Amino acid sequence: MSQFLLVLVSGVASGAVYGLMGLGLVIIYRATDVVNFAMASLATLGLYVALSLHDRGVATLLGVLAAVVITVTAGLVVREAVIRPLGQGQLFSALVVTMGVSLIAESVAGSIWGNQPKSFPNLIDGSVRWSGAALPVQSLLTIAVAAVAMALVGYLFTRTTLGSAMRAAAESADTARVVGLSSQRLARISWALGLGLAALSACLYAPRSGLVPTALVAPLFRAFAGIFLGGLTSMYGAVVGGLTIGVLDNMAANYISASFRDTFVFSFTVLVLLIRPQGMFGTRTFQRV
Amino acid sequence: MVFNRSLLARAALGPAAGAVLMVFMASGAIPAYQMYSVGLAAVYAVVVLSVGLLAGWSGIWSVGHPAFFAIGAYFAAYGSGHDWPLEAVILGAVATGAALGAFLGYAGARFSVLYIALLTLAFTMVTLELINRWSSVTGGDQGVPVLQLRSGLGLGTVLGGSTEAQYLAVGAAAVVLALAVPAAASGLRMRLVAAKSHPLAARTIGIAPEAQSSLSFAVSGACTCFAGVLLGLLTGFVSPDPFSLNFGISLIAACVLGGVGTILGAVAGGIYLTWNPSLSSAVGLPQPVVQGIVLIAVLLFLPGGVVPFLAKPARTLLRRVPRRPHAETPADPSPNQAPAPTGGPVLLNLEHVSVSYGGLKALEDASLTLRQNEILAVIGPNGAGKTTLLNALSGLTGNGRVSGTADFAGRPLLKARATARRRMGIGRTFQHAEVFSELTVAENVLCTRRRITPRRRAEVARLLHSVGLADVADRRPAELPFGLQKRLDLARAMAEEPQLLVLDEPFGGLDAGERALLAGHIRRLHADGTAVVVIDHVLDDLFSVAHRVLAFDFGRTIGEGTPDTVLQDPEVRSSYLGSVEGRTRPPEHTGGRSMVRLHGVGHAYGGVVALRDVDLDVRQGVVLGIAGANGAGKSTLAGILHGSLAPTHGNRETAGALRTSLAPEGRALFKTLSLRENLEVAAYAAGITGAPLRARLEETMQWLPPRLRDRMSAPAGGLSGGEQQMLAIARALIVSPDILIVDEPALGLAPALVDEVYDRLSGLARDGLTVVLLEQLLSRALSVCHEVAVLHEGVVAVHGRPGDPAFEALAEAAYFNGGPTLAPGTAATAQTSQVN
Repeated sequence: MSQFLLVLVSGVASGAVYGLMGLGLVIIYRATDVVNFAMASLATLGLYVALSLHDRGVATLLGVLAAVVITVTAGLVVREAVIRPLGQGQLFSALVVTMGVSLIAESVAGSIWGNQPKSFPNLIDGSVRWSGAALPVQSLLTIAVAAVAMALVGYLFTRTTLGSAMRAAAESADTARVVGLSSQRLARISWALGLGLAALSACLYAPRSGLVPTALVAPLFRAFAGIFLGGLTSMYGAVVGGLTIGVLDNMAANYISASFRDTFVFSFTVLVLLIRPQGMFGTRTFQRV
Repeated sequence: MVFNRSLLARAALGPAAGAVLMVFMASGAIPAYQMYSVGLAAVYAVVVLSVGLLAGWSGIWSVGHPAFFAIGAYFAAYGSGHDWPLEAVILGAVATGAALGAFLGYAGARFSVLYIALLTLAFTMVTLELINRWSSVTGGDQGVPVLQLRSGLGLGTVLGGSTEAQYLAVGAAAVVLALAVPAAASGLRMRLVAAKSHPLAARTIGIAPEAQSSLSFAVSGACTCFAGVLLGLLTGFVSPDPFSLNFGISLIAACVLGGVGTILGAVAGGIYLTWNPSLSSAVGLPQPVVQGIVLIAVLLFLPGGVVPFLAKPARTLLRRVPRRPHAETPADPSPNQAPAPTGGPVLLNLEHVSVSYGGLKALEDASLTLRQNEILAVIGPNGAGKTTLLNALSGLTGNGRVSGTADFAGRPLLKARATARRRMGIGRTFQHAEVFSELTVAENVLCTRRRITPRRRAEVARLLHSVGLADVADRRPAELPFGLQKRLDLARAMAEEPQLLVLDEPFGGLDAGERALLAGHIRRLHADGTAVVVIDHVLDDLFSVAHRVLAFDFGRTIGEGTPDTVLQDPEVRSSYLGSVEGRTRPPEHTGGRSMVRLHGVGHAYGGVVALRDVDLDVRQGVVLGIAGANGAGKSTLAGILHGSLAPTHGNRETAGALRTSLAPEGRALFKTLSLRENLEVAAYAAGITGAPLRARLEETMQWLPPRLRDRMSAPAGGLSGGEQQMLAIARALIVSPDILIVDEPALGLAPALVDEVYDRLSGLARDGLTVVLLEQLLSRALSVCHEVAVLHEGVVAVHGRPGDPAFEALAEAAYFNGGPTLAPGTAATAQTSQVN
């Protein structure tokens, strides 16, 4: 039982990270039709900066803040420099361009900070005992921080006029234009928000995985699986999908085989999508002539 | 497929280049250390070709090809370890690749581009994990050697990593490239590209997109597995390292770089992949950085790829005399009068057919019979269910629920799939000429057939000639004006001589000459024995070809008759013109200063002219009605008056800083947002925030009917049509506009709701708001507006004041026929008696 609890908490903590990253992907995708493959590698740059600051004795919290700032800045530069010139509606080209950015960012991180694994500091140490299991505080903190961040995003999108405007522009860019919303401004805000969430989730993930230039590829792919499971355009879907993947992943690794985690996670996702192509929270579209 | 001489010559280029290369290799002209690279480039070229043709012909971008490549290589390793003959290894790898590819292609056809990316990503991840863990077969990360493979047919033995393996790689790649050349000219490619460019239109000519993508992915997977076997032999050792996901990205980069879907581009891509490491060390940057930069630069600056970019000037040089597309007139003159219908047997019989989407009934209880050799016109205002009727006939109702029965040529129709209806003998055209943009004009028609023989080509050439497209047969549709695209759409529908042709607004967007030509085609089809169902808003042309007319409104049949009699039916007439009883006309009002003035404004979308030379003056305090049938250019004019659409000709002047707001056609609410959020967003967009926003919100809510005020937190998508219209107007009002533009507020509303909407609009006008009302029904426009302009085919035909009986008659004539043809003298008076 205590083992199960431990696996469950660890699964929820991973899922919270995937969900947070997925949330960032979905926010950017809804606002600008770009599946941002480079999100993880840009967040990695942020992580390395945070680690460098930590090594110089700066408080971890400030380091996290720096990671967020660096990631957001890098993301906005990428959008203005190579995504915006592509023009509207270039779904595939934009995806491939972010792949290219990702290759460059990973390589740059490797050449500056080296390809050797480094350990990333826990935000908090220790563990609490609960019904016979020693739960790491870091995992609980991860869940709590992710929950707070998700709640704030929820508040932004459902309770503020800016959030309504972002949802409006995501629902119909044409109507948004007729009403007079500035789509470029909303797009920049969405990118900043999405990358900020990615950087935050990276800081929560890195203490467990350690830091190499490709450290965030695995959670990015799981976040992808999560958002497809959730329906690609649904923010609830991203969170629920991410949590599902996280729990499944940890359960499969502990109770089935640690060697076949990817196989299990991705086969599950593809099977669900074969049965329900629109995902859990997505809507089926129908083209009319 | 047809083998003509130039095709054979091009197909021979691959083996010829391969042979030359082998001679070079044998003569020692290529240094020994580069021999391996040449072989590798050949193998990569095959992989890039597989990925690129899959993307170019089927629109499937796969990151799953590293997995196929790996499967082939491990087949070679396992075969070598278990003494399998070379042929068995190749056969096994190809069969495995084809089976897996067919599955991925079938599954992927249900998804969009992004889902396929995830699907193939998952495939790569799973395969790589299996390879890493299944060490008894794959050797895990230690890898396995490929020592040798002996031919079962006694053709010799290939040692892993030997020179023979390099020759084999070059030779095999040459053969694969050579095979790709005739494939590129085949009907198969045309059908693949057709299914990719427009899946829905492809279904109407009998092409099922799922089958096509499954087939092309199977071939692509098989080729890549074959390349994997070659790689295994070439390297003599197989480990998981080369088959990473990054390799998948590099493959996409190589495809995009060379030019997606071109064979030469694949060779260029293969060469790039092989020598990328050398290139990187030459420029002194890490390899991934170079790859990333190349990828981004190509997508930004050469989205078509390097090879097509270089080929374009070469082709221009070859085509010395540039041909311009022009509309040639078909050879044979067509009879002017529609012959009397023959009393032939019944071809089509519809009984109580209904189509509903969710709660919305798009078509209700439609019944009709059509005889062979009969031309039936279906008319009705926008939203009457006409297109839904055509979609029910051609099987394109999507996820709508279809009920009722229909027989076509004695067989049940409604259960048949869209792809099967073409074989049953039904062809259709589309309102916006949904042609296959990536095929040439001739290929658009050729792809209706599975196999293309010289006879078929001759038939297609004759068909294209008969509709006047022979001169542009090698052009892409995008290079043609809209009128010619519509002819192409018609030619494609006629290609297999269907028994029934279904035409969706064939006259829309055409000029007078083109419309006369089209009418001739329809009559000729009839003379050849084809039955035709045609819907349109251009009534005079429609009536000149039809034997019988059926009128629709609100998804129901409301009248039937001959072209001469149907408009005499009061219900039919009022469905167009409206009948407004008991509404009090607003007091005469000449208006204050000019608010917005248009001078010679025209607008065109691509080649389609929507507005021509419009002069209009919107004065303060006036309700200006703009009446016109569907397609007359109302919404374009609304956008230009609003300022959100820039006219292509002429100019728009406003009196100082002016706030205009638009309630667009079809409401265009944000359906997932609540009522309050819809209002807030509009105010926010206009820069109103904080306390003023709350005040405006409060004020605007007071304007809404109480039943909406109580539901401010409910999503707007849940409102009825009339309620949505009210909210759309409120959303336009919240910014305190100087001019309110309302586009077709009555569209799709029940009469009682229309009255409510109009009462509220009249109330706004009484309070002094300047209103521009775009309205399909002339009588409604006449009953509520101070001034009315009638728009016909993009031109303001008449402009004047309601209440003047002479003007009302003129306006009605203009509405249907475009001009006051009855009394030209009074027309001039009406034109000049307008507001001064």
